[in-house]
Amino acid sequence: MLSATKTLHRIPVFGRMFPVDESDGLAEINSWPALMIVASFIWLFIAFLIGVAMPLIQRMGLDAELYYRAMTAHGAALAFPFAFQLMAGISLHRAGGCLGKPIKGWLPAAIFICMNGGAALLAAAILIGGFSVSLVLMYPLPIVGMMTGQWSYSTLVLAFTGIGMVLFMMIVFYPVLILKMSFFGDKREDLILSERSINDPGMLGMVLASLVLLIMGTPLLILATYVLVALYGIIPLGAVAWFTQPVVFQFAFFVFAHNLMEAMALMVISGIYAVLPLYLRDGTRKLYSDNLANLALWILLLTSFSSFLHHFITLFPNLPATLAYHGNVMSWGTGIGAALSIFTILATAWKHGLRMGPGLMISLMGFVLYILDGASAIVTSNVAWSFQLHGTMWQSGHTMTVLIAMSMMWMGVVYHYYPVMTGRALNDKLGYWFVWLFSIGTIGAALVMLAGGADGMPRRHADWAQGNWMIYGDFILLFGIFMAVALVLYFVNMMKSRQIEAVAESLAPTE
Amino acid sequence: MLDSLYLTGWGAFGITLFMFIPFVVVFLFVIRKSSSDSADPSIADDSGIVRAEWMWLGLVTLVFVGLNIASIGYMPTVATTRAVASGQDIVDINFTAESWSYDISEAAIEVGRPVRFSGKSLDTMHSFAVYHPNGKVLFTMMLMPGLEGPTSLIHTFKDAGTYTIRCLEYCGLEHHQMLDEIVVVENNG
Repeated sequence: MLSATKTLHRIPVFGRMFPVDESDGLAEINSWPALMIVASFIWLFIAFLIGVAMPLIQRMGLDAELYYRAMTAHGAALAFPFAFQLMAGISLHRAGGCLGKPIKGWLPAAIFICMNGGAALLAAAILIGGFSVSLVLMYPLPIVGMMTGQWSYSTLVLAFTGIGMVLFMMIVFYPVLILKMSFFGDKREDLILSERSINDPGMLGMVLASLVLLIMGTPLLILATYVLVALYGIIPLGAVAWFTQPVVFQFAFFVFAHNLMEAMALMVISGIYAVLPLYLRDGTRKLYSDNLANLALWILLLTSFSSFLHHFITLFPNLPATLAYHGNVMSWGTGIGAALSIFTILATAWKHGLRMGPGLMISLMGFVLYILDGASAIVTSNVAWSFQLHGTMWQSGHTMTVLIAMSMMWMGVVYHYYPVMTGRALNDKLGYWFVWLFSIGTIGAALVMLAGGADGMPRRHADWAQGNWMIYGDFILLFGIFMAVALVLYFVNMMKSRQIEAVAESLAPTE
Repeated sequence: MLDSLYLTGWGAFGITLFMFIPFVVVFLFVIRKSSSDSADPSIADDSGIVRAEWMWLGLVTLVFVGLNIASIGYMPTVATTRAVASGQDIVDINFTAESWSYDISEAAIEVGRPVRFSGKSLDTMHSFAVYHPNGKVLFTMMLMPGLEGPTSLIHTFKDAGTYTIRCLEYCGLEHHQMLDEIVVVENNG
């Protein structure tokens, strides 16, 4: 069996960021999460290098094919092995510490191998085989691209194998492990860090999100499995004709992809609900209202199921207007859930006071970014605006912002749990530098991308000079540099972390 | 005023800022005040917070409902239905999209005369986005291959000029070269 701790210690440079403390008896809830978090940071590093390269490729007038490869690799690395894996790592640690259940057996190993192995295969197909289909596949482009000689059949099979492995991780292995820990197995008192029931707002989102992933992802998983089996030549392609119809694949894909984002939002808001009370100045450790917090999660869940229809508003009349209006209304309904979350957070802070720390501040600024993204998302879900914004840089701004916002909230939670997982303390000054630089970078980049979209700048487009949109690319690069510097500080902070005893000793004379 | 709000991407940008800026100001103010050493959490008035909760929910609902109701008249789906119901003479433009070009039928497009654009994709996902000569996106239509009926929309042009057509759905390595033009002339009738 793969040993998470040994693997972690073998990873060069990044492995030093999370030296799991095995002496405290908590390795069973720390090792796998730490390995997943470190792996996610490696993918983040790769995604950022490629992300910064994208505007440079345009500015320097390099080959369009290079841009499209970078675009596909950047999106795929950011969304799945970074953002999702970061969430998986920290949420598994939370589940273990709140429910007193160890993270062991073949499931965490399968999660780690499928996500990173699958992402590596996809990356190989992109970088070596030229598989350039964007983050959302643009089905049937993978097949059409192969038929028109843009990439080979073997590249297509390699890419779909990687995508299949990633889907299995996200739709089956990860949610099953969370649900197994939530409802089955004996509780071990020695693993409990902060006991919670699943009715607690800090846990409810985790369970709901797992169910959403499992239920809403299953149709896509069945469909993708059939297509993959046909690509391997085990069954004839004609036998999966219905599955390969663009309309079938596109709807199955967006039912999952949209709800994947909502599931990740449920999970991270739940994480904020769990961490915020730990920073209250009056020591009550309670949210303003658990009922209001849970209501926000339920509204988000129920409205998000069918709001995916807003992806197809411009398909009119193939998507009947009634369904377009339904997608419009449901999307704005998610905004009501977000409004309740805003109120819960502010009322909790106002009523109980806050002991501010970098971890909480990172998460709260991630929440600010999440609200900016939410506003841009519901605006573009309005039928009138959708016809002007769909397919523009507005959409890319929305996708990048929601992923970064959720990741930023998780990075705050990681900052909070870091001492528990490693026995080491982080430098608060560096933590605050990260907060402000990353906030400037992310909010700036989001606003520039939205402005580009408002100005008609197309997304996934290798020629920004065509409509004088290069200026937006220059600003995206500028704010990208802010983000990159902030991330370097975040990583350096972890690499230079010190044993908690040593920090306590150095502080002792002044206290 | 509503025209500039709902008929341009900048209107959408303005509304996003209209929602975001007050939020961020209030959010950071409350967080800063709650974290201040001089703040005394014990004096927070519960009934005041409950009142604020209902006022906040009412305000959000009002803004959300108001913005969406006001947008109805600007929805291309509604405009299309109205144009058909009015019995006006509609010019038909049919087109197909295939990597990486369009095949657009010939017809005179005049200012003030409704035009029905109907299109299909012959291979992969494409779109048909019409850009005003000033660079603004008028509307975009998603074209999904394999569908029985075309994607279709009725639009009435207000200005004469050469309009650029772009594909806004990524469709492969020459996606950025998928361009065309349509010319709208003054209505002399």
